[in-house]
Amino acid sequence: MSINVSFHAVSEDQPGEKWQAIFNRSWPGYRAWYLRSGAVGRPSYLESRRAIREHMPELVPTWERLVGLAGGGDVEARFLSLWCPPPYIAGCAQAVWIDPAGTQEPVLLRNYDFAPALLEGDWMATRWTDPRNRVLAMGDCLWGALDGVNEAGLSASLSFGGRTVTGAGFGIPLVLRYVLEVAHSTAEAIALLQRVPVHMSYSVTLLDRSADWATVFVAPDRATEVTRHKAVTNFQHAVEWPEHARATHSPQRLAALQQQIDQRAPLQALADALLRAPLYQSSWLRGYGTLYSALYRPLSGQATLLWPGDSWAQSVTTFEEGQRKVVYPAYT
Amino acid sequence: MSNKIKSISDLQLMFHRNERPIYFISATNFNLLGIDRWVNRFRYISYIDCFDGRHPNVFVPSESPHAEFSSIEDINNYLLQHKEVIDLIERRGGKPVATFLMFDEKTEALAEELGMDVWFPPAKLRQRCDNKMETVRIGNKAGVFSVPNALEKVDSYQHLMQIAERNKLGRDLVVQSAFGDSGHTTFFIANEDDFNKHKDEIVNDPEVKIMKRINCRGATLEACATQSGTLVGPLLTEVVGAKELTPYKGGWCGNEVFPGAFSEGVRQKARDMAERFGNQLLQEGYRGYFDLDFLIDQDNGEVYLGELNPRICGASPMTNHAAFAYADAPLFLFHLLEFSGVPFDLNVREINERWAQPHFIDSWSQVVIKYTEDKVDQVTRAPATGIYRLSEDGTMGYQRYDHERRAIDSEREAFFLRITGPGDYRYEGADLGILITRGRSMDDNFKLNIRARDWIRGIKNHYDGKPIVTTQHAVAPAPGSFKIL
Repeated sequence: MSINVSFHAVSEDQPGEKWQAIFNRSWPGYRAWYLRSGAVGRPSYLESRRAIREHMPELVPTWERLVGLAGGGDVEARFLSLWCPPPYIAGCAQAVWIDPAGTQEPVLLRNYDFAPALLEGDWMATRWTDPRNRVLAMGDCLWGALDGVNEAGLSASLSFGGRTVTGAGFGIPLVLRYVLEVAHSTAEAIALLQRVPVHMSYSVTLLDRSADWATVFVAPDRATEVTRHKAVTNFQHAVEWPEHARATHSPQRLAALQQQIDQRAPLQALADALLRAPLYQSSWLRGYGTLYSALYRPLSGQATLLWPGDSWAQSVTTFEEGQRKVVYPAYT
Repeated sequence: MSNKIKSISDLQLMFHRNERPIYFISATNFNLLGIDRWVNRFRYISYIDCFDGRHPNVFVPSESPHAEFSSIEDINNYLLQHKEVIDLIERRGGKPVATFLMFDEKTEALAEELGMDVWFPPAKLRQRCDNKMETVRIGNKAGVFSVPNALEKVDSYQHLMQIAERNKLGRDLVVQSAFGDSGHTTFFIANEDDFNKHKDEIVNDPEVKIMKRINCRGATLEACATQSGTLVGPLLTEVVGAKELTPYKGGWCGNEVFPGAFSEGVRQKARDMAERFGNQLLQEGYRGYFDLDFLIDQDNGEVYLGELNPRICGASPMTNHAAFAYADAPLFLFHLLEFSGVPFDLNVREINERWAQPHFIDSWSQVVIKYTEDKVDQVTRAPATGIYRLSEDGTMGYQRYDHERRAIDSEREAFFLRITGPGDYRYEGADLGILITRGRSMDDNFKLNIRARDWIRGIKNHYDGKPIVTTQHAVAPAPGSFKIL
């Protein structure tokens, strides 16, 4: 059998009908996920509002607009705050490429590895927080981001940090959204990540237009750690969840990625490696296949999605709506 | 308003022109039914919609998934964090005021976060006054005495007997723990077997109230301690432990008010005691509405202090709708006045004297109908809130919708406030609803009279239930989980 997934490029400066359509399509699934433990332990609306007001005040007007478009309900508002959502994990690999020859602009590369059924597939161009800072990002959790680039010249991407610990904090897609909406540089993004609590461990790779870069380890139980890892998969320093690392080939993937970096490989070689095992994962049916690869060039504002034999390029200045159908040859 | 409130008409005008949104937040609006008629901008925020959306001042947010409630405080804390409730409060603006039946320190913190003033003494102080040992001590200070008692820690039956002997309490005892719902934490101990049945509850408490057992009848009275003095409502009889109404032996299940319910001597004594107790509460820092239970010794007419409910309670609808309330103002209005910050100087003695006159008290009764069967099912049909009529053959039918008891025309009509509705679960001890009638519901021996039993049967006949499917067991409440009122 094969799995078909549609990617949609959606442009909507302020939340409106297009976002509402995305919400209406995905909400039943998210609602069930959010309430799967019977809502016991999910924070109340008041706590969620308190958290987002305290930690991400710039996002509050957008959150309120989205809640309105979502019908204004209690559960919708709580979910959209992404304050202490149920635990979730994914795969992913990320790398920063700096041209060894010093002629091409720097690139942030990543593979997004997850279950196809849980991918929203909405590549969104928005001007939610700041009209001068358009954000182009792959959507998740209805208004969060998995990876993206902004008009100010910052790109960012997330991957699961390979630890089971959870705590009081935000779901990472919303934190990444916050970074892309508000930060203009890697340094500003780091400052945000040091301040905003997250509910699980993640690695966030940042690259800005001046080629400043970092991989930031965030966790609910440890201080944010800023590292100079150019490549990262799903563990931080050392494997802490062996079963997850084994299932997702995390060490092998990191080794393959690191080898490219160490060899000062050209960009094309690195991009090719992302579409090849071991970096390219084919366990779609088990929940961690590679769903897309992405290249972000924060200096020129370009973004490219890659699949074996296909690619889709956009930029923050010229973003065109459209659709791509991707077939994953999943075999049982 | 800068003018001092000096008379009842000033008070009525003040609340007629009130602009501050005042909320009563609770599972239902039962306890303050009708106060919205007296106070402009008064709203109820309820968890249960007893009125199927037809009450103009009741707001019920749509159900949001939540952890299982174990108290009314839990319900209130859920409501205060619910988006639709917060939206309502913020949309209506002003400097909102919250009133509750029950609240805890978490409720206070939530109210503060929402910018609401809580018009009750702090939860911590209420908790202290609610402690049955503390009630005895506060009463003693005011010269308001409880049934002969000792307040001590008990280690064993022998130890209990020693305490009883030392305090001349006899061998037939009643033991109560510090907190507890009516009928749940009162133990009657006449021998060692009785003691052993409740041993754990008794010996694990740091202190219990050990009373001489007397042949008594319960009465309750609501009052309001204000800076002008303590206003005292009428003395109400209590309906206790009627098997048609409650599965709990000794559990409260209603009240009656009627002139002549108690001898003039008893009434006067209870009123004096309440006034003195209220004044002592002011000394303790507590002010506003409170309810005192009295125990009247049937053998010698002695009146003793029973318990204190430092709050509004299940008897409040009786007090706030007695004739004096319509002649002057409901007692709860004085509570709101006390907390309003508006200066006042009322002649409380004159008001109390007026309210004590028999023609300021008319005859009403209310009974709380619980599900008394020891099983759980799901309600498929339930009587709507409104006015019901009893026909000559004893059958009962729905007459018309109303949300106020004063619409009742005669003793053949009654107001039913539905609590358990279609889709809800019926379990032993679940509150089905409250029935309010003109006239009495008990006979002279304080047993339910025939008319009351007709009414109760009539209401129950309007309920149908179906067995619950196994998969829903998880959400069905455990029998006796908690009481609503």
